[in-house]
Amino acid sequence: MRISAQMKMADLVHINFELLSVLQRLMIPFGFKDKSVSTVCNENNVDVDFFLALTQWFLNRDEFPQQELMNYPPEWLIGYLQHTHKCYINYQIPRLEKEIEQLDQLLNAPDHSAQVMIHFFKEYISEFSEHIEEEERVAFPYILGVEKVVSNKITYKEFVEEYKDYSIGKYLENHTDLEEKIFDLQNILLKYVPPPTNNCHFTNLLIEIYRLGKDLKDHTLLEENVLIPKVKEMEITLAKLAGKQ
Amino acid sequence: MIRILIAEPSYILRKGLIQLINELPDTSEIEVVGSHLGLIEVLNHFSPDLVILNTSIAVAIPMEEIKIHLPDTSKIIHLINTPLPPDSTSQQISIYDSKLVLQEKLSHYIKPEQVHDDEENSEELTSREKLILKHVALGQTNKEIASSLFISTHTVISHRKNITRKLDIKSVSGLTVYAILNGIIKMEDIS
Repeated sequence: MRISAQMKMADLVHINFELLSVLQRLMIPFGFKDKSVSTVCNENNVDVDFFLALTQWFLNRDEFPQQELMNYPPEWLIGYLQHTHKCYINYQIPRLEKEIEQLDQLLNAPDHSAQVMIHFFKEYISEFSEHIEEEERVAFPYILGVEKVVSNKITYKEFVEEYKDYSIGKYLENHTDLEEKIFDLQNILLKYVPPPTNNCHFTNLLIEIYRLGKDLKDHTLLEENVLIPKVKEMEITLAKLAGKQ
Repeated sequence: MIRILIAEPSYILRKGLIQLINELPDTSEIEVVGSHLGLIEVLNHFSPDLVILNTSIAVAIPMEEIKIHLPDTSKIIHLINTPLPPDSTSQQISIYDSKLVLQEKLSHYIKPEQVHDDEENSEELTSREKLILKHVALGQTNKEIASSLFISTHTVISHRKNITRKLDIKSVSGLTVYAILNGIIKMEDIS
């Protein structure tokens, strides 16, 4: 369905509760009363069309609004991704970690199965955190820097001093890895681990991991299809600026 | 499961293709891109078995570049915005093709997966594959495995492909977990 800025924000969430995470990531607080989507967005300094583009995509997965999202300032999307990161690091991951640690009570395994899984997951988490940190520390500031030069907010000289020979290509490298491993984890838990003793608990864990995998896929999609093409576009302008120096 | 990437700028055509593919008797995973932007990145991480590529997108990126980023076994179907002669090959489809023609051409690539539960066709690893897996799980590179087993690196790679296909596990650490769970290596072997 097509959603509009005149709809009530609360109704939108009723349609699909997954949108709660979009609201959280855009730092839109709840307590909407009967306010419309556009009122709530305006009150929280979120661009209504940007909000609608993201929301529409959450509701209709096979239509990714690439062109539309590319038209907005990259800092909006970066803000969205940063808040996603925060939620992972401060809440989701520690919680999952605790659940995984209980695996040895869950699995009906005489051997080391549980420890092996715990080890795998811990390794995964540290890689995951590293990737997020690297994004926050290098890639995002670089992208924002490129945007500032292109829109004449800082000079080319200032930019070069800050980000000597970084380019966006470098950052793409370990993306695939993270996705691959979470799918491996799903498959191992689903297909190869001895049947669990507490089915309810184990099923829940698996659902959470699937959700993390799906989130990660979305994350990659936003980065690979919006942020990176946008930066590559801007890097062309940048190269022209460099030529003039 | 066959992985299909649809690279097509038109919304209606994308929708139509997805609908058509979903009517075929196979479970497919479908990804879409609407322009050449980001296409290479998607190719790299999705590694599709089949790409349905509109010629209008293909003009923006050299064909060689697309092929570099595709697995060797991947196929490409070109989607053409003009009518095709009646005897055209299955590598080309036209937006004017009838449903029957489209289904016929697509079914060359999208064949129903055979599920066998019997021993012969099972996805069990062969003893050779288990041996390779053991070395992989112990952290050896393809080259090291090749020289310690007196086989070519090429052979090692093809064994590894089969292992990954059978188990649905791609990463080395995932394979290590599998190897331990199945007693192919011991916990103490890895430190």
